[in-house]
Amino acid sequence: MSTVEEASAAMEAKAASDDLAALLGRVAAHDPAAFATLYRSTHAILYGVVARILTRGDASGEALQEAYVRIWQKAGEFDPAKGSPLGWMATIARNRALDEVRRVRPKSLEEMPEGFEPAAETVDPLAGRARSERLAALLACLGNLEADKREAVLLAYYRGFSRDALARRFGAPTATIKTWLRRSLMQLRECLES
Amino acid sequence: MTLASDDDFAAAEFALGTLEAGERASLAARRLREPELDAAIRAWEARLSPLAEATAPIAPPDDFLPAIEARIRAAAARPDPDGVATLQRRLALWRAAAIGATGIAAALAIGFVAREATRVVAPKEFVAILQKSGDSPAFVATINLAKGELSVRPVAAPLQAGKSYELWIIEPTLGAPRSLGIIDAAAVTRGARLAGYDRAVVEDATYAVTVEPEGGSPDGKPSGPPVFLGKLVAVEP
Repeated sequence: MSTVEEASAAMEAKAASDDLAALLGRVAAHDPAAFATLYRSTHAILYGVVARILTRGDASGEALQEAYVRIWQKAGEFDPAKGSPLGWMATIARNRALDEVRRVRPKSLEEMPEGFEPAAETVDPLAGRARSERLAALLACLGNLEADKREAVLLAYYRGFSRDALARRFGAPTATIKTWLRRSLMQLRECLES
Repeated sequence: MTLASDDDFAAAEFALGTLEAGERASLAARRLREPELDAAIRAWEARLSPLAEATAPIAPPDDFLPAIEARIRAAAARPDPDGVATLQRRLALWRAAAIGATGIAAALAIGFVAREATRVVAPKEFVAILQKSGDSPAFVATINLAKGELSVRPVAAPLQAGKSYELWIIEPTLGAPRSLGIIDAAAVTRGARLAGYDRAVVEDATYAVTVEPEGGSPDGKPSGPPVFLGKLVAVEP
């Protein structure tokens, strides 16, 4: 955090995160009103997560519903020491979307509708406004990766690209992509733990 | 780090989402039996999850809250909301039957199936994990009865040159095993060959894989004993 704006943004993020954590606590006790509030304040983000991976509206709606059912059932397992409430919820939604996209068959990039080019994977780790300290740290570490390798990680995270899909995207053999991913992920962990 | 580094990398790729279908299914099964692997996956998920905060929101086309609340109520009304215990009991019976019938341990990956069962998925979807007595699934078969679709994905089943894997359906009322086709090494076998079978037969059958000469059994019968087999499990709630 080098500027007042960034510090302020991080504080806002922390306040919002604390609110979500409190809501999750009430959801764990099966409070329907808290669940409705939680849904209202997070559904567009979670839909953004699943829709970028699944690209089909019906599948995305299904995954979103399944994710919130699981959030209701598992809210008691959320551990604030291990991550943000939004990150925890998004992980559940992402896993639902990834299970679906891998279950049917390897999703072909050619099926991506025209004009469906979300901006998420073009996140510039060096210029991005930090929304939380964890995100700031992760983006800083991503910034240390070479551009291609960073894009591969972001395409995988935000769009659900498999190794094969990444290989097609970058015109590289799948084995090369695997090597990229391995190095990138290990480098990220080392950076995050330093 | 107590995990083998390959496993740690697999956990990282699971969390990142880059594993192909078979590897993902295999790891999903293993994590339920291997706490260290599960912990490694969770740790990687936590490391990467801040990225979700940077996701640009998209407004869903509908208000799904009422539907979600209805699903929650429906799940709560069931005595066994996840269906896990029921499935495990059914699996145990099936496994016993398969072992008794064939003499080969058809050890289904109960964990994987139980996890699958917790999902609320479109009905008429079934999955079978075809494996030997070992730990790793060799094929993951998915059957969609409504669409008459069958897909089989190899997970870890190296095949010697000049041979083919052939998939069979085995069920008492059918008499001899019947071929469902060759499993293409490329990835997926799908076909309408299941369309001719009754739903009850498809659901109750044992699915087996044999090693055949390239292109499949020359006489329409299995050339040898099954090398992998398993039963279907409904993944609808």
